[in-house]
Amino acid sequence: MRSDGVLAGLLRQLALWVVALGLILGAWQLLVSASDIPAYVIPTPASAFAEVHAHWDLMRELTAQTLTETFYGYVAGALTGFLLAVLMAQLPIVSRLLYPALITSQAVPIVAIAAPLVIIFGFGLTPKLIIVAWIVFFPVVVNVLDGLASVDQDQLNLARLLGGTRLRTFLIVRLPACIGPLFSGLKIGASYAVSGAVIGEWTASSRVGLGTFLLSANAQMNTAGVYGAMLLLTGIGIGSFLLVLVAEHLATPWRTHAVVPAWFAGRAEGGGGAEGGGD
Amino acid sequence: MTAAGTPKLSVQRLSQRFGATLALSDVNLDIAPGEFVCIVGASGCGKSTLFNAVSGLLPVSTGRVLLDGVDMAGKPGAVGYMLQKDLLLPWRSVLGNITLGAALTRGATAADRRTAADLATRYGLGEYLRHFPRALSGGMRQRVALMRTIAAGRELMLLDEPFGALDSQTRIGMQQWLLQVWRELGRTVLFVTHDVDEAIFLADRVVVMLPKPGRIGWIVPVALARPRDLACLTSAEFVAIKRDILGMLYGATAPARAAAAAPSPAAAPPV
Repeated sequence: MRSDGVLAGLLRQLALWVVALGLILGAWQLLVSASDIPAYVIPTPASAFAEVHAHWDLMRELTAQTLTETFYGYVAGALTGFLLAVLMAQLPIVSRLLYPALITSQAVPIVAIAAPLVIIFGFGLTPKLIIVAWIVFFPVVVNVLDGLASVDQDQLNLARLLGGTRLRTFLIVRLPACIGPLFSGLKIGASYAVSGAVIGEWTASSRVGLGTFLLSANAQMNTAGVYGAMLLLTGIGIGSFLLVLVAEHLATPWRTHAVVPAWFAGRAEGGGGAEGGGD
Repeated sequence: MTAAGTPKLSVQRLSQRFGATLALSDVNLDIAPGEFVCIVGASGCGKSTLFNAVSGLLPVSTGRVLLDGVDMAGKPGAVGYMLQKDLLLPWRSVLGNITLGAALTRGATAADRRTAADLATRYGLGEYLRHFPRALSGGMRQRVALMRTIAAGRELMLLDEPFGALDSQTRIGMQQWLLQVWRELGRTVLFVTHDVDEAIFLADRVVVMLPKPGRIGWIVPVALARPRDLACLTSAEFVAIKRDILGMLYGATAPARAAAAAPSPAAAPPV
């Protein structure tokens, strides 16, 4: 029983996305066709789309490959990040030891990590997943840690005074408090994940994805191909972001609903037995 | 189960130190079952320290806190507790927030939910059971917070300026509502406030605390007839008590009608 107003709000938000993207593409089209930039320097979006359309079978395969890497890497990174944050919040010693390591992991240039990963794991899917996960887990860890640390002390005192057990207090009070920050991390991760997949493909790949195609198209001066791949990669990035946005909407009905929707009633009233996981 | 004459709460020779600071000095206070006691005092007089010591959140330096004759110092979970902040969980419905005590200890059962729903309906929250707290006004949210405290089933409830953030009209409505709940459910209440009017309107006795070090200055009995209505706020007796208490707080004059707190454990006058 989702209220219509909320659904309309979500649709309006998505419609705004379509409009904004349309404006960007329109400006691009206008700029290139109005100037005398040759098509092999910057093609119009129309010709880039035409290129994608002309080689659709190939493009679909490439997209599927890159999407697979992005998706599994993203899920692995998000889960790792979430679990790590929960662990660190429970065990302060682990937290103090791991925090410098976390920062270090992000200070190492991702391209520099890619090469040794290929040496260790070969040309298959694994090194790409690790690179994507490497990029995604960091914003998730940092945001969830912040969320868990920012739970109101009075709120925790109240839980103690109500006689709350440690586990139930965690599930009912602390964990839901970090859903907002979790989604902030997931959104950042969603927009970066596809870059990780491309870097992974650039380093070494036995199977061709959009990233590898982009490199070879560039080498062949196939500018429309480069831009076509770029459009598809951007599409994956935006699509992931919007998916997370919708998931956030569904996971946090209290931000948008006045009355508890039926599908959330168990969680809004329950005893805290079955709480959902990361994403 | 309480022997006749045993206070619900007995604070005996309680002193609390934070480093070099003496936050509470030799506090003695007995509260009878079913009694409504208000604490007033300037900030820094140790109200919150006393509150936290009685709730068990704060380990006591010296002295004892007896609940039904049993020492409860440093053991949270035996008394109800409510603050100015409603502390409602935004992701739980009104009903889910009222049953929070059960959910946190053993999991809320259908019976818990039914009891909570009956309670909430009886006290004017019936139509909001399935609402998220966000949809409620400040006054309504505090009602939910009090229902949560009551549903947890503790006989002694500590309320720390629960209406402090509400506008004055809402606050008067809430005070009357609280008196109704208290009268009908027969709980014992220790209520901290800045507001002298609020203290006199609600209490059987008003405890006036003084700062540096935090201590009980006087305990003022309020003999106004119950149930009390708005007219009592302007009665001669009310005004006289208020004049006394304001004098204690701001002039430190000797009280005309109050019993001065003696330093012995049996400080509180008989109810």
